[in-house]
Amino acid sequence: MAKAMGGYMGKILILNLTDKSYEIIDSEPYQKYGGGHGMGTALFWDYCKDKTIGPFDPGNVVTISSSPLSGTPVPAGAARVEIQGIGSFADPEWFTRSNIGGRIAESMKTAGFDATVITGASSDPVWVEVQNEEVVFHDASDIWGKWTDDTQETIWNLILDNAEDGSWHDMGSTRDSGRSTQKPAVICIGPASENLARSGTITTDGAHQAGQSGLGAVWGSKKLKAISFFGTKSIPVADPAALLELRMEYQKRFVYKVDNPSYEQPDPGATTYDARIFGTLTRQPGSGGAHWTSRDLLARPYGCPGCTRNCRHNFDDGFANGTMCAASMYYLTADKKEDMLYAAGLLNKLGINGFDRGFLDYLRALYKMGILGKGKEIDTDLPFDKYGSREFIEEFLYSIAYRKGLGDTMAEGPARAVKTWGRWDEDTKSGLFPYPQWNYYQHYDPRLEVEWSYGSVFTDRDINEHGINAHVHWLPTICNLSKIDYLLPAKDVVERLAKSTGLDVMGFNYSNEGIYSDEKLETVAWMRHYGRFWLSSMGLCDSVWPTLLNYNDPDWDTTGATPDFEPRMYKAVTGLDLSFEESLEIGRKIFMMDRTIWYLQGRTREMETFADYVFEVPTSTDYWLTVYEDGEWKFDGCKGRTLDRKKFEDVKTRFYKLEGWDEEGGWPTRKSLESFDLADYANALEEAGIYKGE
Amino acid sequence: MLGGVGIGALLAGSGTAAWFMGNGVYAVETSGGYLLVDTKKCAGCETCMMACSLAHHGHVNRSLSRIQIKKNPLGCFPNEIGQMQCRQCADPGCVKACPTGAMHVDPDTGVRMVDERMCIGCESCVAGCLFTPSRVQWNFEERHVQKCDLCTNTPYMTEEGGPGGCQACVSVCPVSAIKFTTELPEQDDSGYEVNLRNEHWAIIGFPVDDEGAVPSDVSVPVDPSNIAKEGEEAW
Repeated sequence: MAKAMGGYMGKILILNLTDKSYEIIDSEPYQKYGGGHGMGTALFWDYCKDKTIGPFDPGNVVTISSSPLSGTPVPAGAARVEIQGIGSFADPEWFTRSNIGGRIAESMKTAGFDATVITGASSDPVWVEVQNEEVVFHDASDIWGKWTDDTQETIWNLILDNAEDGSWHDMGSTRDSGRSTQKPAVICIGPASENLARSGTITTDGAHQAGQSGLGAVWGSKKLKAISFFGTKSIPVADPAALLELRMEYQKRFVYKVDNPSYEQPDPGATTYDARIFGTLTRQPGSGGAHWTSRDLLARPYGCPGCTRNCRHNFDDGFANGTMCAASMYYLTADKKEDMLYAAGLLNKLGINGFDRGFLDYLRALYKMGILGKGKEIDTDLPFDKYGSREFIEEFLYSIAYRKGLGDTMAEGPARAVKTWGRWDEDTKSGLFPYPQWNYYQHYDPRLEVEWSYGSVFTDRDINEHGINAHVHWLPTICNLSKIDYLLPAKDVVERLAKSTGLDVMGFNYSNEGIYSDEKLETVAWMRHYGRFWLSSMGLCDSVWPTLLNYNDPDWDTTGATPDFEPRMYKAVTGLDLSFEESLEIGRKIFMMDRTIWYLQGRTREMETFADYVFEVPTSTDYWLTVYEDGEWKFDGCKGRTLDRKKFEDVKTRFYKLEGWDEEGGWPTRKSLESFDLADYANALEEAGIYKGE
Repeated sequence: MLGGVGIGALLAGSGTAAWFMGNGVYAVETSGGYLLVDTKKCAGCETCMMACSLAHHGHVNRSLSRIQIKKNPLGCFPNEIGQMQCRQCADPGCVKACPTGAMHVDPDTGVRMVDERMCIGCESCVAGCLFTPSRVQWNFEERHVQKCDLCTNTPYMTEEGGPGGCQACVSVCPVSAIKFTTELPEQDDSGYEVNLRNEHWAIIGFPVDDEGAVPSDVSVPVDPSNIAKEGEEAW
């Protein structure tokens, strides 16, 4: 592979928490994996010697990896790092990932590093200061126990000597050492992760949370409170003029025009719904969360570095700054919207994963059924009689973060808690506990929207990738909620998606037959490969990429930025030619690397299935998707459907074959691994006895 | 000397560069352009900083951006984000403080500029800037001072820059919080406040009044019963 001319800082920081030492290695050998997830998987492979250990074993390794695009003005691709290691949340525990935005990626790079690898474990609390390639281990006894906001402010003030916001801070003893007006980017854990709550997060700034992995508790087990990144190093760009040009082009064609939108949401006063959810399609500022009810609050939109969308909110009280998506709706049923936001802020500060709002709904259902409560089968003092109040949510979240009372069980994660209570079989069969795979809450209906559910069950967690979902599901859903005509007919939607992806139009057919078709499996594979490379490894934001369909063109040209922009962005920054097809193949390779690790950790074909309700309980409410029936495309509510067990088993066999895995067992074959120059991965599978039949 | 902004305003469009008036009065031509930044519209995405350093230096470095966006991600709107751009002062303290003429008013455009070859690194201009922190910076890579030139010298930007062309920060701002104007803005010693928000900003849920203190539902009424129902999906 040719050497990149830009994007990379050229160095990786290896931290050893056990003896408080570090080394700096060359990043070039890892650049062939792109960055982010690919680089992180390769680093984990090399540095985690025994991949069968549990998450809290000191031998577990956590990687934080940026991408060559990080810190540059590529549209919505500057901010994210991928965090990987053996997670504590999924059931079973295995190698997993989470992704986090904010200022962390650019700050790690300006401090000098493409990635950071955390090895070993400290015997006492520690935080690490990284500034312009210099590394200092600090005693964290004084900040252990602090909430995430207090932790960050304490470290900011220590490093900046309590200087006023925006002051020029000298990085060294001379004026040529560099200066910055910024605050260091501090990535830290709160009380929940310190107390090994498996839903504990790793946090930076207000609401950037790596939460879908249980890696926060891994930090807690390593007694690692925080890492601060600060620096003034330049990020090289191979073709700066081309990068600026494409940013400006993207701005003109694809960004929501705030002063004169090409397509504007319906007047909120004239609809039956607060139509800011239209931002899911138009990607208008502030549309990432808290949009449901915050119109009468004072706020601005807030974005990660380099964003084109700026989907978050900063509020006038600052408490729930940056809150978005599921976390902003964790306490959607609060009596007061202020308390809904308060709950979101509390999640951020305690460091609890806000995605898992389904657990709260489930517990409330048990309370209403008389199963959970004081003196009940599941005995708790938690004041469910005050559900909806601030008092309730405070006690509830504190109980998890500090493992008090029932919270000690809940901190083990929903699936483990439900098993402890002996309700697993009954509630996963009925669907009362809607967790289809791996301890993750039902994000989208696994019986219907299968690019999501198949993708999740073939990986390690809920995939959380909305590139296709935004159009096949949200477009009709939003239009129906708002009682307006569909922005586009279903036929136009699927044809546009087919053009942007290069897939067969039937790959977007969610009919009862379509979800088992070969074309559908090609779509699932496309999403996996795109996600592994462009989202997880290149750090493009899922809230913007892939841009398969555009609602912001002044002339209503719906042509998306994908697949034209991604290779151009990559080349402008790195100087390397990479076709879109080649990029998907790298994604396939990285997926295979992950898959190898999961099989070393005990995965089997039999494990890759869904909870019983997915196969046995028919859908009962409208769930809108693009469907081809009787020779016509339409948006359909897909009621009354389940997933067929036998057909799903056939899906597995065909998908394994499609990916180059063993058709029966699902592991990557030696032939496939060696075709990607991954013979050492094949050797590891052989040594582990996985290949006995091959 | 006469105090700052007034004299510049009086001389706007006079076609002069810089000269001494009677009794030691020093006057300079007003700038051919200004950056206006709406402090309450900015989303803090830093893209302007990235684009600025890229256009001028060919690599990305926030510390070398001539517009600085300060942020406290845990602070309170509207003071948690601040924008620090050169005001192209009518009475430029940086120009006056420079002992070599490196910091000067461009005779063609009126833009306050640095001739890097003449900079001796004394940083008098940094101290001479009327604003805190100074809008004139020490470039620690190339070892000279630098400031906003409205993209006059942008070797890494294809488009023509300067007052008659485009400015990188304006072109890339995703929320149009930065505008270019040739009209000297009304201002006082603390600079100028502008409001670049219109009714469309309220429709997406954000305040449009000057102070940013009036909720958007006052200007764009919504039915308070129209909230999401329990069990709605998360994105």
